[in-house]
Amino acid sequence: MSRWKTILIHGFLIFFTAMTLYPVLLVVRKSVTPGDNFERSLSPIPSRVTLDHYSEVIGSRDFNGRPLFWRIVLNSVVLSLATTLVGMFLASTSAYAFSRLRFPGRRMGLMMFLVVQMFPATLIMIPLYVILDKLGLLDSLVGLVLVYSTTAIPFCVWTLKGYFDTIPREIEEAAWIDGATRFQMFWRIVIPLSRPALAVTALFSFMTAWNEYILAETFLSRETSYTLPVMLQHYVGTHSTQWGKFAAGAVLVSIPVMALFYILQKHLVSGLTAGGVKG
Amino acid sequence: MGDRQIPGRLLESLKSWAVALLAVLPLLVVYLWSAGQVQEQEFRTTAQLNAFECVGSSEPCVPVWVLRPEPYMEGSLVRFRVIGTRPSGKVSREKDAKLPRWAHDLAVEAWQSRKGAVRWVSKPGHSAIRTAVFMDDTVHVGQAPVRGQYPDVPWEHLLVLFVFSLFMLLLPPRPVPVIMSFVAFFYLANGMFGYRADAEPDWIYSFSHIYEGTDTALVVVWFLTAAISLFISISYALNRFKGWCRTLKEHRIAYTYVLPAILGMGILVLVPFAFGVTLGFFNHCKGDYTFVGLRNFWEILSGGGASITNPLNFWFTLGVTLMWTFLNVLLHVSIGLGLALLLKNPLLKMRSVYRVLLILPWAMPNYITALMWKGMFQQQYGAVNILLDKLGLGGVSWFSSFWTAFTANVVTNTWLGFPFMMVVSLGALQSIPTSLYEAADVDGASSWQKFWNITLPLLRPALFPAIVMGSIWTFNMFNVIYLVSGGEPGGSTDILITEAYQWAFKRGERYGLAAAYAVLIFIILLLYSWFAQKLTEQKLD
Repeated sequence: MSRWKTILIHGFLIFFTAMTLYPVLLVVRKSVTPGDNFERSLSPIPSRVTLDHYSEVIGSRDFNGRPLFWRIVLNSVVLSLATTLVGMFLASTSAYAFSRLRFPGRRMGLMMFLVVQMFPATLIMIPLYVILDKLGLLDSLVGLVLVYSTTAIPFCVWTLKGYFDTIPREIEEAAWIDGATRFQMFWRIVIPLSRPALAVTALFSFMTAWNEYILAETFLSRETSYTLPVMLQHYVGTHSTQWGKFAAGAVLVSIPVMALFYILQKHLVSGLTAGGVKG
Repeated sequence: MGDRQIPGRLLESLKSWAVALLAVLPLLVVYLWSAGQVQEQEFRTTAQLNAFECVGSSEPCVPVWVLRPEPYMEGSLVRFRVIGTRPSGKVSREKDAKLPRWAHDLAVEAWQSRKGAVRWVSKPGHSAIRTAVFMDDTVHVGQAPVRGQYPDVPWEHLLVLFVFSLFMLLLPPRPVPVIMSFVAFFYLANGMFGYRADAEPDWIYSFSHIYEGTDTALVVVWFLTAAISLFISISYALNRFKGWCRTLKEHRIAYTYVLPAILGMGILVLVPFAFGVTLGFFNHCKGDYTFVGLRNFWEILSGGGASITNPLNFWFTLGVTLMWTFLNVLLHVSIGLGLALLLKNPLLKMRSVYRVLLILPWAMPNYITALMWKGMFQQQYGAVNILLDKLGLGGVSWFSSFWTAFTANVVTNTWLGFPFMMVVSLGALQSIPTSLYEAADVDGASSWQKFWNITLPLLRPALFPAIVMGSIWTFNMFNVIYLVSGGEPGGSTDILITEAYQWAFKRGERYGLAAAYAVLIFIILLLYSWFAQKLTEQKLD
């Protein structure tokens, strides 16, 4: 490779990386500069530094004077973990059946999981509201866990099924000869072998729950049952534009999910594309 | 041989008859119930109208109290004073104390509605309708007896059904599908012509006003019953029903594994979906839903009276949506693939650093991204305008004209979406064996030839599903449009999904219209993915 070509490639990549990082740096800058508006400057380095916005966000209290921020963090964490667990359980079992077993309705089921992704959320929102209301699950995290895990399932099923397909059947056949049951083959062989795909789907389920705000905003009405996106949304909602608090909140909300993303990102390529590449 | 066959066949036909009767029985129960409901409803309506007339007429057929609301009120409470009785017309103070509680309550109701109120009283052997009518600032309350014949079991309908069934006995073996289809038709026809408020002999009118004026619950029951019986009849006709039971038993392990997910999806996705589709046929106004047939769809597809250049026109929004999807996917794929090709080279220094930094937008919650870019495009303090200013181009008011607002949306979504395509392309590129490139090198192929003849064809199987998936996501990308431009200026940058949202929650709670929009979105995407699938199948062959 010639010297000039290398420089050109690096220049290109550096340009794109800068484009990617710059908006994020601006938010970080805003979160540590005082005041609620953006200042007229392009530099990502803040002129004055303060942690006021962070302490305001973390120290926010509800009507009864109890700490609100930690309550909301707890809500989001519980919601996201529960969604991940329920979603993974539902998706992995059905993906296993779709990958390993041949049964009538298999094609139709797979098609259904594909088609379901095309349902616009607004179409489902009003009926869901009515159903959750009837079940008494409105304004509760249980209802949201169910909704989120079912909306995350189609993608998870397809990804997992694609990955399960790449695991050789011979291993299971050997286990079958040794007297393993269907469940043992699933739980002891297929699940441990598909760690990358499981990591990726778990990550997506988690991100779905952690980042979703339209349904959360519609279904949750008490301040103490809010999730983080709803809280952030309220900082720059129709009535107020507290960009400082929003930026600080955005940084706080993004850090855990980005950390998780980067921990699991080495699985991203193999987990996502295994099914597709095979074909 | 023959002797043994005949009782066997007889038994067989008897068995199929027993099944048929068992299947018809619940249908009969449903039919009786719903027919009774309708007749009772009709009966009640006429009786109430009679009672109303009776109490409200100048020469009432029953004793009537005439009440006047007192001038003072406590909160929303109203008090009434008896100012007379009719038909005698004699004013008496003694009546004041005797005014029963129900008459007072009914009078309040009538006074509040400014029209009237009715209540049914049913005791064994005696039923009456208590009525209050509001006339010239006074309320007239009376208790009118129920007139007319109380509805009876529709024996003649049952008779017809049974005679028909008996007649069916004479027909050859498989009677079930025929009966079932008959029942299905019967239920549909019932709703169409049977219980309409005004019987119009005009067929076209009947079709455009099917089920109008009928209780919604009854319509639902009719439809469900018709659907179920049609389903059973068709499956019988295809001789599948037994087969299904058998396969269910045979593959019970597979179904056990699939069941939890299907159940969850069924309750929380499919039921709401069915509900939403149904909603598309109704009009919502202040909590009341009325059945309007295909009128919502007609309003959307005809543009709702707006010209094609008006953002409220469906076709305008569809055009914007298609342009939005196409541009975004094009940018995602070209940037993602381009970066992946650069990052593929294992000798490149800092390769993993670039990769880690470039997937940052994927890791960010996308509503934060959207709000962040909205801030960047802000007219006065936004980084984009400051940059343009520094370059001497002058700032732009991004959200006041269509093209600039659209560009802002596209830039945001491109920033958000290219990492996904990059990661998918990287994975696919890594799986292409290097021996192919080595062989091409031996043959003296240029790098363009290698890209065109090796990379692209081998990339297709992985990239194509990602593109289909990505375009569906972009088509329904609510967050970016809603949070960045919010449809500004004047709703012109709205895509179909945000337009539906606007109708439901911003422009007078038109849930029905929003649902119809959503159904159309679904149909478009379904056609698209079906088309895409056909295309891949052809390519792979």
